[in-house]
Amino acid sequence: MTANLALLRPTGIPRAVRRAATGVPPTVLLAALVLVGVLLWSVAPGVFTSFDPVTGNTAEKLLAPSAAHWFGTDYLGRDLFARVVYGTASSVTSALVAVLIGLVLGSAIGLASGFLRGWVDTVLGRVVDVLLAIPGFLLAVVIVSSLGFQTINAAIATGVSAIAVFARLMRAETLRARGSVFVEASYLQGGNRLHALLRHVLPNAYRSVVALAVLQFGTSILVIASLAFLGYGDPPPASDWGLLVASGKAYATAPWLVYAPALVIVATVLSVNRISNWMRKAK
Amino acid sequence: MTAIAPHPLKPFLTGSSTLLSVDGLSVAYGDTTVVHDVSFTLGRGESLALIGESGSGKSTIAKSVLRLLPHGETSVTGRIRLGGRDLLALPEKQFRPLRGRTLGYIPQDPSAALNPVRTIGSQAHEAAALTGERDADKRRALILAVFDTVGLPDPVRVYNSYPHQLSGGMLQRVLIGLTVLPRPALIVADEPTSALDVTIQKLILDLLTDLRQEHGISLLLITHDLAIAAERTESLVVLKDGVVHESGSSARVFADPRSDYARTLQADVPALNPDRYCSQRAAEAQPAETSGRAQIEVRNVSKRFRVGGTEIAAVDGVSFAVGRGKTHALVGESGSGKTTAVRLLLGLEQPDSGEIAVAGETVHGTSRAELRTLRRHLQLVYQNPFTSLDPTWRVRRIVREPLDRFRIGAQADRAQRVREAIAAVGLPESALSRRPTNLSGGQRQRVAIARALVSRPDVLVLDEPTSALDVTVQADILELLARLQRELGLTYLVVSHDLALVRQIADTVSVLQRGRVVEDGAVEQIFARPQHPYTRALLDAIPQPTGLPRPALGQRTPGRPTLGQPAQPLFTH
Amino acid sequence: MTGRYGRYALLRAAQAVIVILLAYVLTFLVISVLPGDPITNTLRDPQNGLSEDEIQQIVAHYGLDKQAIIQLFLSLGRFVTGDLGFSLQSNLPVAQLLGDSLPSTLALAGTALLLAVVFAVVIAYGAQYLPGRVAPGLLRSVPSLFLSVPNFVIGLVLIELFAFRLHAFTIIDPDSAVATFFAALTLAIPVSAPLAEILIANLDHESRQEYVLVARSRGLTKTRLFARHLVKPSMLPAVAMVALIVGELLGGAVITETIFGRDGIGTLVQKAVTSQDVPVLQAVVSLAAVVFVVVNLAADLVSPLLDPRLQPDRAAARTEPGVVVPA
Repeated sequence: MTANLALLRPTGIPRAVRRAATGVPPTVLLAALVLVGVLLWSVAPGVFTSFDPVTGNTAEKLLAPSAAHWFGTDYLGRDLFARVVYGTASSVTSALVAVLIGLVLGSAIGLASGFLRGWVDTVLGRVVDVLLAIPGFLLAVVIVSSLGFQTINAAIATGVSAIAVFARLMRAETLRARGSVFVEASYLQGGNRLHALLRHVLPNAYRSVVALAVLQFGTSILVIASLAFLGYGDPPPASDWGLLVASGKAYATAPWLVYAPALVIVATVLSVNRISNWMRKAK
Repeated sequence: MTAIAPHPLKPFLTGSSTLLSVDGLSVAYGDTTVVHDVSFTLGRGESLALIGESGSGKSTIAKSVLRLLPHGETSVTGRIRLGGRDLLALPEKQFRPLRGRTLGYIPQDPSAALNPVRTIGSQAHEAAALTGERDADKRRALILAVFDTVGLPDPVRVYNSYPHQLSGGMLQRVLIGLTVLPRPALIVADEPTSALDVTIQKLILDLLTDLRQEHGISLLLITHDLAIAAERTESLVVLKDGVVHESGSSARVFADPRSDYARTLQADVPALNPDRYCSQRAAEAQPAETSGRAQIEVRNVSKRFRVGGTEIAAVDGVSFAVGRGKTHALVGESGSGKTTAVRLLLGLEQPDSGEIAVAGETVHGTSRAELRTLRRHLQLVYQNPFTSLDPTWRVRRIVREPLDRFRIGAQADRAQRVREAIAAVGLPESALSRRPTNLSGGQRQRVAIARALVSRPDVLVLDEPTSALDVTVQADILELLARLQRELGLTYLVVSHDLALVRQIADTVSVLQRGRVVEDGAVEQIFARPQHPYTRALLDAIPQPTGLPRPALGQRTPGRPTLGQPAQPLFTH
Repeated sequence: MTGRYGRYALLRAAQAVIVILLAYVLTFLVISVLPGDPITNTLRDPQNGLSEDEIQQIVAHYGLDKQAIIQLFLSLGRFVTGDLGFSLQSNLPVAQLLGDSLPSTLALAGTALLLAVVFAVVIAYGAQYLPGRVAPGLLRSVPSLFLSVPNFVIGLVLIELFAFRLHAFTIIDPDSAVATFFAALTLAIPVSAPLAEILIANLDHESRQEYVLVARSRGLTKTRLFARHLVKPSMLPAVAMVALIVGELLGGAVITETIFGRDGIGTLVQKAVTSQDVPVLQAVVSLAAVVFVVVNLAADLVSPLLDPRLQPDRAAARTEPGVVVPA
């Protein structure tokens, strides 16, 4: 046999062994680690930094990153790392609120639509069509402009704009489970519709919906950051990640004011996406 | 056959009489070796079958010969020689000219074997180009001629069609025609008929045999069906878990299997052992028969469906009756209405006209309460245990579901009855805490049977209960069903396309074609003196290997001892 | 093709009109029923310098003194007749504002769509066909990375790098070809990710199909296999996505145009939000819905023409025994 034969290939033993040992790919572990870090920042920011996020020392303004100030300082001499850490809670919580709104309302619509069919499906289907027809970010912008510029409103707006995605997936999953042989079997075993819905359809639909919820958590962080960037969230001295980038962009000589919070956003969302992908494939 | 042109690469293959020799072939996916040190040879113009159940490595061997294994995921060692050249050592550039021209491939599922978004004609040109014909019009003529040769009624229409517009049998004719067109020296056919209806199966196999003999093409046939292999090929290689268990001439292996596994396979093929379960069934309570009361009576039932604007009678005036403790079979191919008939009986569909009576009571099947009563009498075992069990539930809960839903027994009794049912179907108690995904196909079907039995129905409807399973597993399930019938006095209604299987397990049979009963009666009578041409076609479709007389009716072939668990004490009624 | 396809087309078109009207209603409800009264707040904003008479005139014109439901029907009536009203901010007709902003946004979104498709195809092709394990593996994680970087960060980085450092363009002239290209790049990167993901998934799926094995068994080369067999079936499902992508482009334009200082629909939205210019907001959202619905309708109508499996009346009768009946 010659070496140029594509059929021949050394088997990836070390990788397989590593995978078998933990059951989880290393990049997923790393992603989980990042998320645990972010969660800890939002729960107990004081543990991670001794600087105050709101008051700064103007003598130390616009310092480049250093051992003392990991992310440097801003135009008021505030430690940027502290501002990022203290801004985490608001950024993470609002994303969670957004996901929760989308998940609960969207799933309810999708479930009713897919399970009841008939006119309910027709009516809810048009509602979802309408929500889909307005670009998500535009819808969020309009809602937040109507509700008022606050981070919580940005979260609500983001959540509402995510309803359609959840509804569509839930409907598809419900239809799939509803048409499956094991649901028909359940009717033959004396089960009624409610029983089939709660015990068979929901558990089978739930996995992919949860994977979407995780993915949507990442997307929501981005959307809320974008709204904050446009100034539609809480005003300074709040330090939402998007707002930090927006206020940093005014200082061309201090690029870390943009890059540091941007990097935190990217790392967080990337980790969330990695875990969501893994969940989808692990299915 | 003028459509098939000789081609320039032929001389490369002249020489010794051995065309293909596989020597010490091993194949591994990652760390899992699926084929271990397999060797066999195939002579020029001869045919050889690789036989085995799922996981036997037969398809992997075929794909190694064709070099169609996925890149980068497999390692192949050993030698595969074709006309004296080592195929595995050839660089792809030198191997490619052999593809199609010397080595032809006929796949398993014809409906997936053609690109769904291109016309059949445009894909046929790829095959026709292998003849070396450069002129498109002449290629088209070759294609139309070969379509005619393989018995396609309207070649031009087929040429202009998309794959989804043709039936599976027609598509397989297209594929066979296109494979034969460049006149390869060897055709590898991977289960070429297992996705087709039985009567079509036979026609396709006849066509393949004719063409192959006419043009002196060698055949490497991959199949799970020992009878087909013995009927269609000269030599056999029996594989299990990637290891050769036996090889030799088909007639010899078939008549006198020497390895344990080949013997098991032989004993489990329904076509070869019509009386396999007679001893089990002989012990049936005879008195029940004389009570005269039919457990199921279906009288003149019809059901029509609208399909794309036209009405089709799925079931058209069907009648049959099943006596207590008896087994009745509904036989037919896809579209015969057998599945619809069962769904009507179970109240999953409502008949347009006619009457259905279960245990002497007429079923209207409209009220929920009535359906619940009906379904306590009547339970269904589905064809495919991979879809009929909720993957998120554990076995304990699956089997218990009917008890909870029908509110049978006290809480503590229910757990006990679940354990009894699981034991009755021959599964260990440890299976209770497993999920279906962790069980094999046979185990899953046992769980499905346990679920159907746990509410102690009188009648089990078995919808192709073994067609999704391997042949040895099939035999185990049939054995289990025969034992349960004997011990519990169950009445069975079996739906099947396989007359050989029906012959083994049923007392009476109704043959359905296009929604109508074309013939019915006792199994022995139907087999001995079929009246209707369709019944005869179905009987003819049962493979009949040469050199071995079909066992005469009434002749007893000793059954293999029950595998697996010893019989458990049944329900403590 | 006329009979069943014609009915299908009519039905889809009717649905499209309903969705557009409902989208208008939804936007109206979001703006007027949710807490806060942006219109009168804006009108009474002393910065606008409107006299009480003028305010009353505007209120009367828009029927703002009437009940919400009547306002809705008045507003819907004006929308159907093509009257988009006047901007509260500039007093110019909204239609004129939209017309002025549209070309810039079209140039931006059009370029971005092109770039996104090119990126997606290149990523998907590379992930499938580059030799070895490393390069395809890396390409497969690119969509996930693209989805993780906020649009505004990409924009700021590109401006920093290409405008300030390399002087490839200047943000003083945001409508220059080079500036438009970089703005489009900003917009295209996140949009290309879902497209690339679906192409990769489809190519994976199609490559595993039996017909690919059969084609390979006839000696087709990789490139021919890709071109003749894989492109069409793996791209067709992506046609259904094009409307969503256009929607994404419009949404993303708000940020991109703001960062690059372009005068387009996105900036119009951003300004309208800041100044609570309700008629403008209502008009832009309605326009976006119209664009989405029209593109979606086009995709729905074209798909059956491209994909034979979706054609309603071409399923020929099968000639072999056995009529296919739904179980």
